[in-house]
Amino acid sequence: MEFDLKTIEALAPDQASLSAASRLTKQSNWPRLEKSDQLGLLWGECQGSGSNPYRVVVDTGDHGYKCTCPSRKFPCKHTLALMWIAATTPASFTAAGSTPEWVNDWLGRRRKTSPQPADPVPGAGGKSIGEASRDDESADIEDAAAVERREAAQRKRTLDTQSAVSAALDELDQWIADQLRLGLAGFVDNSSDRCRRIAARLVDMKATALAGRIDEIPSRLMGLRSEERPDAAIRELGKLVLVAKAWRSTPGDAELRRLVSTSESREQVLANPDAKQVESVWEVLGEKIESRRDGLVSHSAWLLDLKSASPQFALLLDYFPASAGRRSNAFTPGDRFDARLVFYPARQPLRALVADRKGDVPTGEWPDFGFHTADPLAAHAVHQNTAPWLTDCPVMLPPGAILLDDRGAAWWQAAGDPHGIALPIADTVNPTLLGLDLMATAALWNGSRLDLLAAQSGFGRLDLS
Amino acid sequence: MNEIEQTGLAAMRDCWITGGTTFDLAPGAWKEIAGSASPDERERRLLAIAAQALDIALRPAAPKTLKRRPQLPELALPMLPERLRPLLRAALKHAADTRSKSRVVTLVASRGFVLHPMDWMPAASDQSSPDVYAPWVDWQAGADGEKPASQEHLTVENWDDFYPAARRTALADMRRTAPASARQLIETKASGEPAEIRIALVDLLRFGLGADDVPFLKSLSADRSGKLRELAGRLLARLGEHGSPGDGGPEDPTAELAAFIAEGKSGFIRRRTTYTPAKLKSPAQERRRAELFETCNLVDLATRFGTTESEFIGAWQFGAESNADILVARMVAASGSDAAVTHMADTLVAERDKPALFVLHLMARLDSRRKRVLVRSILKDTQHLGALNLAEGLEASWLEWADLTNGQTLAALRSAVAANDDAVRRGVDQLLETMGFLATAATAEKLIGDVVAAGMAPSAPSLGLLRLNASLAEH
Repeated sequence: MEFDLKTIEALAPDQASLSAASRLTKQSNWPRLEKSDQLGLLWGECQGSGSNPYRVVVDTGDHGYKCTCPSRKFPCKHTLALMWIAATTPASFTAAGSTPEWVNDWLGRRRKTSPQPADPVPGAGGKSIGEASRDDESADIEDAAAVERREAAQRKRTLDTQSAVSAALDELDQWIADQLRLGLAGFVDNSSDRCRRIAARLVDMKATALAGRIDEIPSRLMGLRSEERPDAAIRELGKLVLVAKAWRSTPGDAELRRLVSTSESREQVLANPDAKQVESVWEVLGEKIESRRDGLVSHSAWLLDLKSASPQFALLLDYFPASAGRRSNAFTPGDRFDARLVFYPARQPLRALVADRKGDVPTGEWPDFGFHTADPLAAHAVHQNTAPWLTDCPVMLPPGAILLDDRGAAWWQAAGDPHGIALPIADTVNPTLLGLDLMATAALWNGSRLDLLAAQSGFGRLDLS
Repeated sequence: MNEIEQTGLAAMRDCWITGGTTFDLAPGAWKEIAGSASPDERERRLLAIAAQALDIALRPAAPKTLKRRPQLPELALPMLPERLRPLLRAALKHAADTRSKSRVVTLVASRGFVLHPMDWMPAASDQSSPDVYAPWVDWQAGADGEKPASQEHLTVENWDDFYPAARRTALADMRRTAPASARQLIETKASGEPAEIRIALVDLLRFGLGADDVPFLKSLSADRSGKLRELAGRLLARLGEHGSPGDGGPEDPTAELAAFIAEGKSGFIRRRTTYTPAKLKSPAQERRRAELFETCNLVDLATRFGTTESEFIGAWQFGAESNADILVARMVAASGSDAAVTHMADTLVAERDKPALFVLHLMARLDSRRKRVLVRSILKDTQHLGALNLAEGLEASWLEWADLTNGQTLAALRSAVAANDDAVRRGVDQLLETMGFLATAATAEKLIGDVVAAGMAPSAPSLGLLRLNASLAEH
């Protein structure tokens, strides 16, 4: 069944969705548009407002659809935009030989329905696709006085936030001193309540990002053995002290503002001429989708720069309200694509946005990184020297293997160095991994545990995330 | 970090754990940084330094007893191409149980590939996956040490150089080519093994079982394992050898079983003997009868009625009671001679109705040709297509398009696909999965097109194995 604009108009939940979809119909928003005539499917990846692309699939037969965005409108603007492109420029879709795994996953889960009616749904009347197209063409023109008023209000808000955050950090300082006085043994035992209370105070005083980080301390502590928790508490609280001090010395610093209060918007990062930009071939090492205590779901996709002589990483990070439902992956581990990434300004730039995605690249082996240094955590030390508040640091480990200790916990150890450094692994590992020689392993080191992302082995690439 | 700093840090750490101020315990250099600030601020500064020291200067102490597993062996076949792995994972995901997953694995092996170890690994106890996986079964079973995967002929001398699964595979091969040598090896080495392994080894005698094996099997009647004695008895029964003769009294299981069977006569001109299941009075009797059918041997039962195996099967009235028919079929499969098994299969297939389905219980004992004949007959008849899903020991990748068009199979499938009934659709899903295993690549391709044209969603997960099958065509 082909799409026509009338059908799209009828499916749209409201006029705003249509207008938003209209703005997304530009080809540049869609690094991938593919179809399978045999299966009657269209799918694509839309670079929306998040760091990770949204994956959209539409069944042309019954107008069933799925988008990975957190919107509560059904269909969302990305789905409507995909249908819109199919209706107006069907040649934009490349015929695909096979369906990607994420499309197969969706197909496996969905229950086929009869085609949805193209009639307007009750309560969703008054939509016009023509009007949506015109919305796109007419840009708002603001007068100079309004711009001045807006900027003045913005400056005032910034000053108010700084003042509130400063007070929040004073309160945090006092709280940390109290924990030390009362004893870290008690803090570890009651970390959940104690962290929740100070985090709530910090949210009230606009130090939202720091509050989110403090809220996660209890789960990070509980992930360790009891004898390790006091040291971990010292590290966690010590890093908070460092963040607070650094923020006080340069409250306008973008990286510190991001750590303490809020992040700049996607547009601000893209417009920042000083932001580091890297055009390269990137491989998706792995994704982590984690529910946080503050009601958000963090979605991180770790990328590896395949053109760099030394291992360089990028992180595409988004937050969504947990109430938006289960998050789907934005990538398939091992995906490779040619793209220009813009990094959020930082002392060790890691978090990035995809500014321009050009196309997919065939998979293969990782470049030979040489691994000249004897210390597999040398990269972590470099990160800590310049940005000691960082918790997770991506590392590329030299040839090694996974071993088990007497308690059955897994450790990574460098090859040919049975008495050398070994790093404990955060989770239980797939037992098969214990029999594989790893030529290189990408992982996140948080100071006490390795979180494995991917590895290269004699059996090819291993997805470990 | 120097020794003074390490000692200082340890003392500060202990103090912070219980609570208190650590300034006096801090190393001199750290005290300087903490400076003359307020007591709380000094503690915070020291905390920041300590945090950084723990992060950078100290590394987790690795236990000295870290254990390395031996390297996972490479298998004799190449790995499934990377681009087919998504299809494979979809098929494995849809395969509901170990048996269905095993079919996926067998299909892939029949096309000359093995799976990636991170997609699927055989269990340590696996005996149903293709032989090519034997090194991985051994690896899973925790066979430590550095034994190379031996390509040599298995002998008494190099017996210990083979891991158990590799040994089983080698012995099964030997039984097909040189059964006497294999039996001598088992005879020599099995006695030193634990019962579980002894049973697995003796069970291999079913390949190429012959009269030469009788003395050895008889010698096992004194084995300390009851299960092994039972297995040897069944193998002997297959060769027409009677088990330990019973006294015919109420304690004799064969006599007890015979009491559950009614002997009669039929026909007006040529009076023929018939055997029918006696009417049961309680579920307890039903359970007891099932136990007896499992433990008794066909040859003993036939002798009890003063007849031969083939005559007993010929006289059994199939269709009188399904449960009893299934029990007879299982008994024949377990202890019937090859001749009895083929006689029963041919008789039942010739009957071409529900009784033909009881042959499914004999499947593991049938030769390749008979298996295919049976599957074709079920497909052609279409009345019991669902029974195909239960068949054990089927071979992968042989079903041709003509086998589906020769009868009403396709028409039945099409109408089931179009049916708006969940139970019927579930049946179709299972059947398509079985077809995905049996079909050749060309048949799989055509069948996908056919059921999609009949209204099945092209992307339905139940087509997963057929799609994988069709994609393996080009290799």
